[in-house]
Amino acid sequence: MDSLKTIKNSFFPLGSPHTVPSPLEKGLGIRPPLPLDRVTGKAVVTGTAKYATEHELDNITYGVLVGSNIANGKIQAMDTKAAERAPGVLAVVTYLNSPKVPNYDYDAGGNPVKGPTGGKGLQIFDGPYIYFNGQPIALVIADTFERATYAASLVKTQYEKGKPETDFSDAGKTVKALEGDRYKDYIRGDADAYKNGPVKIEAEYLLPNEVHNPMELHAITAMWNGDSKVTVYDKTQGVESTQRSIMNAFKLKEEDVQVYAPFVGGGFGSALRTWPHEIAALLGAKKTGRPIKLVLTRPQMFYMVGYRPYTLQRIGLSATADGKLTGISHQSDSITSMYEEFNERSVNVSRIMYACPNVMTQYRVYPFNVSTPTWMRGPGEATGAYALESALDELSYALNMDPLQLRLVNYAETNPDTGKPYSSKFLKEAYQLAADKIGWKDRNPKPGSIKDGDWMIGYGMATGVFGAHRGTAKALARFLVDGTLVIQSSVSDSGPGTATAMVKIAADVFGMSPEKINFELGDSSMPPGPTQGGSSTTATLGSAVHDVCESLKGKMADLAKENSVFHTTEIHNVKLEDLSFENGYMVLAADKSRKILLTDLLKDNNLKQVEVTVESSPNDKMKDYVAYSYSAHFVKVAVHALNGMVRIKQVAIGGDAGKIISLKTAESQMIGGAVGGIGMALMEEGAIDNRYGRWMNNNLADYHVPIQADVPHIDALFVNKPDYLLNPIGAKGMGEIALIGFAAAVANAVYNATGKRVRELPITPDKLI
Amino acid sequence: MINFDYVKVSSSKSAIDALNKDASSMFIAGGTNLVDLMKRGVESPEKLIDITNLPLKNIEEDNGVIRIGALALNSVVAEDKLIMEKLPLLSLALKAGASPQLRNMATTGGNMLQRTRCPYFYDTTMPCNKRQPGTGCGALHGYNRMHAIFGASVSCIAVHPSDMCVALAALDATVIVNSNKGERKIHFTDFHRLPGNTPEKDNNLQKGELITAVEVPINDSLAKNSLYIKVRDRASYAFALVSVAAALDMDGHTIKDARLAMGGVAHKPWRLTSAENFLKGKSATEANFKQAATIAMKDAKVYGQNNFKLKMAPNTIVQTLKTVSGLS
Amino acid sequence: MLEEKNDQPDKKAVLHTARRNFLKQSSLLTALAMAPPSLIKAADKNLDEKFSKYFEQQSLKLEINGVDHELSVEPRVTLLDLLREQLHFTGTKKGCDYGQCGACTVHVDGKRFLSCLSLAIMQNGKKVTTIEGLADGDKLHPMQEAFIKHDGFQCGYCTPGQIMSAVACVREGHADSDDNIREYMSGNICRCGAYPNIVDAIKEVKEKGGTI
Repeated sequence: MDSLKTIKNSFFPLGSPHTVPSPLEKGLGIRPPLPLDRVTGKAVVTGTAKYATEHELDNITYGVLVGSNIANGKIQAMDTKAAERAPGVLAVVTYLNSPKVPNYDYDAGGNPVKGPTGGKGLQIFDGPYIYFNGQPIALVIADTFERATYAASLVKTQYEKGKPETDFSDAGKTVKALEGDRYKDYIRGDADAYKNGPVKIEAEYLLPNEVHNPMELHAITAMWNGDSKVTVYDKTQGVESTQRSIMNAFKLKEEDVQVYAPFVGGGFGSALRTWPHEIAALLGAKKTGRPIKLVLTRPQMFYMVGYRPYTLQRIGLSATADGKLTGISHQSDSITSMYEEFNERSVNVSRIMYACPNVMTQYRVYPFNVSTPTWMRGPGEATGAYALESALDELSYALNMDPLQLRLVNYAETNPDTGKPYSSKFLKEAYQLAADKIGWKDRNPKPGSIKDGDWMIGYGMATGVFGAHRGTAKALARFLVDGTLVIQSSVSDSGPGTATAMVKIAADVFGMSPEKINFELGDSSMPPGPTQGGSSTTATLGSAVHDVCESLKGKMADLAKENSVFHTTEIHNVKLEDLSFENGYMVLAADKSRKILLTDLLKDNNLKQVEVTVESSPNDKMKDYVAYSYSAHFVKVAVHALNGMVRIKQVAIGGDAGKIISLKTAESQMIGGAVGGIGMALMEEGAIDNRYGRWMNNNLADYHVPIQADVPHIDALFVNKPDYLLNPIGAKGMGEIALIGFAAAVANAVYNATGKRVRELPITPDKLI
Repeated sequence: MINFDYVKVSSSKSAIDALNKDASSMFIAGGTNLVDLMKRGVESPEKLIDITNLPLKNIEEDNGVIRIGALALNSVVAEDKLIMEKLPLLSLALKAGASPQLRNMATTGGNMLQRTRCPYFYDTTMPCNKRQPGTGCGALHGYNRMHAIFGASVSCIAVHPSDMCVALAALDATVIVNSNKGERKIHFTDFHRLPGNTPEKDNNLQKGELITAVEVPINDSLAKNSLYIKVRDRASYAFALVSVAAALDMDGHTIKDARLAMGGVAHKPWRLTSAENFLKGKSATEANFKQAATIAMKDAKVYGQNNFKLKMAPNTIVQTLKTVSGLS
Repeated sequence: MLEEKNDQPDKKAVLHTARRNFLKQSSLLTALAMAPPSLIKAADKNLDEKFSKYFEQQSLKLEINGVDHELSVEPRVTLLDLLREQLHFTGTKKGCDYGQCGACTVHVDGKRFLSCLSLAIMQNGKKVTTIEGLADGDKLHPMQEAFIKHDGFQCGYCTPGQIMSAVACVREGHADSDDNIREYMSGNICRCGAYPNIVDAIKEVKEKGGTI
């Protein structure tokens, strides 16, 4: 097929995209490192970086949670005597003796008939009812970890057992969907158009439960100072939201709740909200009057901090013979807990990905005896894009058309849902970058046609899309007389390298070396930063850092107003726009010989520091636009003909994420998303035994995530075109698009390799023999 | 984990004496499985007898036999020059198991004594006849994609998780055990047992016995063509869905002698004797390998989620034989 | 600790029986009944701690990062929990606690070990190196430098284990090809997915040569 040549001529009118010079040439051996190392580097590699339970506190205690053994029912009796008598034990907290949580609705907690409510998490220790297996029912506190762990094994519970309902295939049969306006079908044009096109496909795709499993176990260190003040060191992606949750739960004032999260060992969504174990730790600390460390075990991570929910999706597509989509139907069934509604709208991706006049989406959520799911990297879009992008691939074969060309034929030039223009969209360029890199045009489109011994080789591609958002954030900038610039935000960093990106932004605005800039974070007493999630941290906080640095420059320019060094015949009162900031100097733009060291400026004014805090919000212009980031995933796989093992041989990802702020960390984030996608595609599946409602592979030996040997060389390539409509730094977002669509690219490559379409993730060897 | 007593011994005799003195005591060496099991509450010995100081670490050749001390580390055995040259199959199997860190801790004897990875065995809230006789087999009608297809019973369908043992079964190894009654030798394929009605017993080691060594006969002709292939859900650091250990004594294209064993399919390393017998004297062709695989699969029984092993196991036998014979 | 050769048989037997009985019951009441009067008198304030020391703990000597430590631990304490909770060497991480992730990797007598599956008491007399002991004062170890340079981490939580494993990987001679590095680093999970960068870091250190 010579389609790519055609594509290049007809679909890439912009010429060669502006790319970051790729350092990833093959055959060079080691890739040359990129500029600006991660600013957290030294702390991390020396082991001095402190995570949630690594802060030394006097009089510390250890809390261990006990989970229920049943998935549905009621506690009849609890015997905690043996645990209480065990050496070192300070308290055993259960619903029978727990301090009350002021904002819990204790009546509602004991009333499962009420059904799931949005945003209402499990109320820990609020009563005898059990909604899922592994539900925390007791907290054992002792003076050492070993003693607490042992004593926890002595808590005995008797239950009145109900039948657990965790068989998700009962959704829509014996288990009824939640109702409400949120579940109204979306219809654009003719809802049934997909049934009637000249070429059509319909298929069903299944995504099992996936568990975030960040490497740091979810953990918290918590202490009370008196009855009204709380300090926690927490594993959280949202310092502010954790602070608010604790304030609300215990009815405390903002200034009385101090949250620290200087280092967060991954999250991928699992640390976006405050979970019951965090409240439990505060209850435990209240009970004993001593600080407590509470670390979940790896198995408890499967029960207590969410997961990506099982979703069964049906896609119908129709197209004209030349590939123009005439109808899309996307129906999705997902799950939630018995006590809380969770909603991630996995179908929305089908409304906005491609230009198509007729679209119908339907989203249903069913309650089961499981804990509440939560957003996991890429959230609903990752789930939805897996189905949609797999179906597009199926359609391309039905059309006998290059899958890339099919996407280009249906390329949306404006938002298909609202008709609004994009603030920026460079997806075509992203396609081209990645397609060229992987050698897409040389692939053989015929399934099962390339062999290497017993290995079958195949290529696949898919697209990812995620909304680019900018929220409101505050940041503080302080220039010190010793020449350092300190930037502060309460934000936490679970891995993307926020501090590094912020230092880069500040360095660019302030014209100074990154080494002299300290970005301080993870502390709720600092100006409120965003929650790290939804791919919006850089756009949101980066804008605030940009604005605060500009503002600080203005303030410093004021200091220089009267300074004689800038007095010329034309200029008497120098203004910011007359000046530039370069290498620690304030320089007169019109005459660069006139300059003053910023530190001298402070000394001249007898100041130790200059400081400003600025709040930065989205601009009004965006009301007329929509903003999205895009990824183009291209994958080469090898599938063993006899044993069914799949090896990812090569990955190239093109990213349209606006301006790349920090190339090194951006590349890493993209590579990391691909690795997550390898897991999603090939190995991740949380398995529940429906007789008991219990997760059977609740550990890292049985729940497989990718290991080093699963991951090949990965090229992360960026279009790197700024979106200054969205925000002043031009960045969109990247965390989600790195993963969204990736699993479909793998599944599509497996089809190209074998001729076998696996529509149930993960694609384990047993499904390919 | 319960608190327990701990003693370190320095001779086999004192180890055995200490064990006999105390019904609830256990030996500990690498600890990679026992400490794990103790953390989960599956094992709760009241006393641990640390045998890591016993002089059982040597790997020596004597009269056509390689003797591997029970405390020789998996990583040491895997990289030992003598083993790599004379018993490459064992080296390959060891390297396919666990991770470098675990292999640095795990011992030869401990590897043999590791317990199943069946999730029902590990989760103490679940039924499991192996952990708690009489509670039933949770896996039988449950989550059983990793489980046995040979020699299981309604009491237990768990598999033995070792890679090393699959190679040792194929290589006709002998286990040397010591007790206060003296030394005893157990043929490797008789060491582990099938579950029957007593799945709580993994092997035929008697109370008061200590594994001191494994002896493996040298067969240079077999060593020349040996291979271990492990099929798993990810590229490394995962237990086998199925694995195959093969060694062929080839005369041109003719198979003079064959050794075949499988892992991930039974409560013990599964020696494929009838397939071996079939292959003897046959030429190395894909048709013969397929026939051998069919013979090997006789009596296989599946339990739902592991049905795929009916195809994956013979396929992997064929793959291994093709590769080891140079056919592909 | 109970080294069979060193302890006096009588004293050892008495202590042993008391300890065993206590450990079986594992309750404060039992301890009160069995403890010698001197212990109780001396310990009205920190009874629990004294009992623990008397009944449950054994002595242990370890050299950690070149410094000798004389310690007293319960036999059930893992090397990982000893390092993190008692000695505050929190650079060594707990990622799974079951030997399934590699975050707790340290060197014991120069070999990479999983500290979560190592009982501390069994390391008596051994040399332990943790991530905190890798740098030479302010001068980072070449592997630490290379991890920064090649961005071999994101959240950083698996990193100490990765680096300890990577150093061992090179020392063992397993860093001779990309595939071997991948295989011999497969015992260290990185959920952020920094794997390709870790390979680059290790290759650089390996290719530079020298003793690491």
